Amino acid sequence: MLPSPFAFERPSTIADAVSAVGESGDGMFYSGGTELLLAMKLRVIHTDRLIDIKGIPGLDRIVLNDANDIEIGARCTHNKIASDPVIREHVLALSSLCANVANVRVRSVGTIGGNLCFGEPHADPPTMLAALDARLVLNGPGGTRVVHADDFIRSELETVREPDELLTVIVFPRPTGPVTYRRFKHGERPSVNVAMAWSLAAGGRTIRSARVRVGALGSRPQPLKAIEDVIQGISVSEVRPAIEAVLPTALGELEVNEDRHGGADYKRHLAGVLLLRNAEEAIAAAGNA
Amino acid sequence: MSATDNMSSVRPDLIEKVTGRAEYVTDLTIPGMLHGFVVRSPAIHARIVTIDTSAARSMDGVLDVLIGEDVASFGCWGVVLKDRPILATDRVRYVGEPVAVVIAETIEIAQNAAELVDVEYDELPRATTIHEAIAEDAPLIHERHENLEDFYFKGGARPTQNSNIFHTYRNNVGDVDAAEAAAAYIHEDRFTFPAISHFAMEPHAVIADFQGDSLTVWAGAQTPTAVQKVLSRLYGLQLAKIRVIVPFVGGGFGGKASVKIEPLVAAASWKVQRPVRIAQSMAESMLTCRRLGADITIRTAVDAKGRILAKSAKLLLDGGAYSDTGSAVATKSANRIMGPYVVPNLRLEACAVYTNTVPGAAFRSIGGPQAVWAKESHMDNVAAAIGMDPAEFRLLNLVSRGERIRPDLRPLDMDMSDLMGRVTRSFASEVQASNRQARGLAVAATDPANTPISNAIIRLKIDGSILVSVSSIEVGQGAHATMGRIAAQTLKQPTSAVTVLRTDTAVAPYDWGTGASRSTVVVGLSVESAALDAADQILEMVADVWELPRENLSLVEGGVSTGSEVLTFHQIFHRALGVDSGEVIGRGAITPRSKKGALVESPLFWETSAGLAEIVVDEDTGEIHVPRYASAADVGRVINRIAAEGQDEGAAIMGLGHALYEVLEFEDGQPINATPIDYSIPRISDVPPVLDTILVENGDGPGPGGAKGMGEGAILPVAPAIANALFSTYGIRITDLPMTPEKVWRALQKRN
Repeated sequence: MLPSPFAFERPSTIADAVSAVGESGDGMFYSGGTELLLAMKLRVIHTDRLIDIKGIPGLDRIVLNDANDIEIGARCTHNKIASDPVIREHVLALSSLCANVANVRVRSVGTIGGNLCFGEPHADPPTMLAALDARLVLNGPGGTRVVHADDFIRSELETVREPDELLTVIVFPRPTGPVTYRRFKHGERPSVNVAMAWSLAAGGRTIRSARVRVGALGSRPQPLKAIEDVIQGISVSEVRPAIEAVLPTALGELEVNEDRHGGADYKRHLAGVLLLRNAEEAIAAAGNA
Repeated sequence: MSATDNMSSVRPDLIEKVTGRAEYVTDLTIPGMLHGFVVRSPAIHARIVTIDTSAARSMDGVLDVLIGEDVASFGCWGVVLKDRPILATDRVRYVGEPVAVVIAETIEIAQNAAELVDVEYDELPRATTIHEAIAEDAPLIHERHENLEDFYFKGGARPTQNSNIFHTYRNNVGDVDAAEAAAAYIHEDRFTFPAISHFAMEPHAVIADFQGDSLTVWAGAQTPTAVQKVLSRLYGLQLAKIRVIVPFVGGGFGGKASVKIEPLVAAASWKVQRPVRIAQSMAESMLTCRRLGADITIRTAVDAKGRILAKSAKLLLDGGAYSDTGSAVATKSANRIMGPYVVPNLRLEACAVYTNTVPGAAFRSIGGPQAVWAKESHMDNVAAAIGMDPAEFRLLNLVSRGERIRPDLRPLDMDMSDLMGRVTRSFASEVQASNRQARGLAVAATDPANTPISNAIIRLKIDGSILVSVSSIEVGQGAHATMGRIAAQTLKQPTSAVTVLRTDTAVAPYDWGTGASRSTVVVGLSVESAALDAADQILEMVADVWELPRENLSLVEGGVSTGSEVLTFHQIFHRALGVDSGEVIGRGAITPRSKKGALVESPLFWETSAGLAEIVVDEDTGEIHVPRYASAADVGRVINRIAAEGQDEGAAIMGLGHALYEVLEFEDGQPINATPIDYSIPRISDVPPVLDTILVENGDGPGPGGAKGMGEGAILPVAPAIANALFSTYGIRITDLPMTPEKVWRALQKRN
């Protein structure tokens, strides 16, 4: 199937792109197109104008900035992030996540920004970026605003981004402890995924704070607050029993959809399995640090 | 030899395919061609109240909209039961059934206009599963059954009037009740098998050009002569006025066998009297046909030593909304659930039932994966119940070479214990990484419906080049390369001298069709026979013109040896015909009477396989990994090793898909994963890292050089072999495919 006819523009600045999309939102931003074009071909998304952002310089940069934050341009492809030296040095788990997103075709043209803006619940990057406490920079006609990754996806296939706001950059603090990510999938998309980021106290034996996010179970990534609380301030060696003690309660609090990816009890159980495997990896990494 | 020469020597079509030059239906453009887009039923079972096409018709670029009423007078069609309208007329029977075709200048216009076709439905009571369909008060999906005896297959369907059962097959041997009464142990199991999509890379695509009393159809059809015959009956045209042209086909697996969308596209062309193309998407093809699901009860009685005394099986097959070849699938599923074991008393019953879902169709080893899934899982259960090793239990009960599995079928023509030994030795050859022997074995012996009817034409040209014309379809399996090799070898010429024509029924002689593992054997024999006929003519020419004794003459590369010299084909034709031109035309025909009747008995050969799987289960998630798999098949003689191994490996990985991933799901009749996004098949990363393919060659098959057919056997043992490994090592028995992680995890939870 082919999409309905549409016009195509390729502006060279963010401001031009934003004004090209227009207030009424009848145009749409386009970069990799791996989700958008598919949806247009299936006729579930209709638009009469695509605004290609690949002509805007700077949106595919990855840097560690002076504030010790890592910035990822929104139109970086999964492949670019996977092989980027900054990401590989500071967040290897994000590099390997991107190296395994979807399939080779999606990785070579699909972008991290596109992935986020599509709001697909069964996706890898949103869970990880929420665990990394990422901020998303949106440029609109009225200026720039920053949204936390946790607040970006509102519900299934819906984000807080206005149609005329362009996601330009994703920023997160350089991790100061192990970052781990695991997913379980039996098919194209992950059934459940778990990301965990620890911040370690000086000496590297104690967890100063932790962020744990579970994705794909509900409409958006969810924090495992009970897990975060129980491992905060404890020694790395005490992590496993501490998690196990609160795990059933923590998992019980997750919102879990029953869908083709499995029954709620199974997926809850998988979240626990992945979390404990992440913990093992993080403990080993902390031990080696 | 360059890489491209090397590829061409394996198969001449490989270079064409990897360079994109190979032409498929969607690469063709016919002058004046229009595009059709099918409007499909969103309703599961409903009466069509009204169809309003006015908005669609008024769109710029739309020529016409075809609806059922336009073509109702042509009546229904089918290949076994005449149950299928060209286009739904008063009623739809499944989600996805065509209800209208928008015909426009471009695909885009047709598709946009299709959204404007307004159809009002009035829902009817439905039967969406086997059990709903055979329930006492089930709504009838078809009110009457019109059988077409000997139309496509020998025989026909045996429908039960006033029911949804459109075919029942029974076969009884001996006295099962008496044997069970005397048995030391009786074990019964029930297994289910889902609907599975063919998932060919090329969806169904057809161009039809109706011109007065003649019709030309370009289609990726596996059985072009069946397409020709159905179109002839349906539209009242002479067979000679219908031309079916089959370019390259991007995979069929049975999903392009018999007849699919050709009558519909022909109707669209008839309506506008111009060529019309309908090229379906993959999602549309997933709503066009699929493998029949099954519900199977199987019972075995054994004596105190573990010898099988009796077996009974009842197989219920979900045939979907239209019968297609579902009746044959049911019959074959019963035949394929027996062997390769000695079973003195047998009670087999298979029923195919209509349901309000996508029509069932032939699919690689029809009825085989369903039957073998049940029987080989059951064999391990019986062995466990009587405390025997499953391999020993099989060996004790195997039919030997030359013995009959059932009195009405040809004796077994191979040695199954040899295949079992070979897969076992394949594993023994490598050091065992873990001491946990999570292995499972399964074997299969199936009776392909090879239908020994085929013709071939071979033309030997003055320059020594050779044209082979057959109705066999190059569907990706390498049939044309095989035909080329048989012709080359028989005529003693290099394979590079041979061109095998893409099939065009205006040129190619009649053949039954491409399926049932029959091409190498049946069509191959007709090619061999045509080559011998051509050889005969050229040798006769030399004997006659040069006045030499015929017995001194023999074919050599480029010509004929007289014993003392080599005459080139050029010299022979020039002197014999007086001009520097000419060719001989060899004809080969295979009928059930050929080879002094040796081809009459069914099956022509047994298609057999053994599979041994090693698995590792992540018990926390239920995910099965298959690090190693060995597949063995007795193929008689390998004609093209790379192609043969490729077919066998492809079949095994398709079997892996059936085992672990694939199910076309319906919720109350609504398809819920009929798109390539939601439907899972194995990826290359899922293929067992160690995959051993063993082809046994004893030169004892009925085909050229002693070949048997192949390509459908290796799909069979995979699922039960994996399930048996799960059973023996992890203590769980899965009875429903696919063995998804969740299913395995739940079974592990239950075990604990």
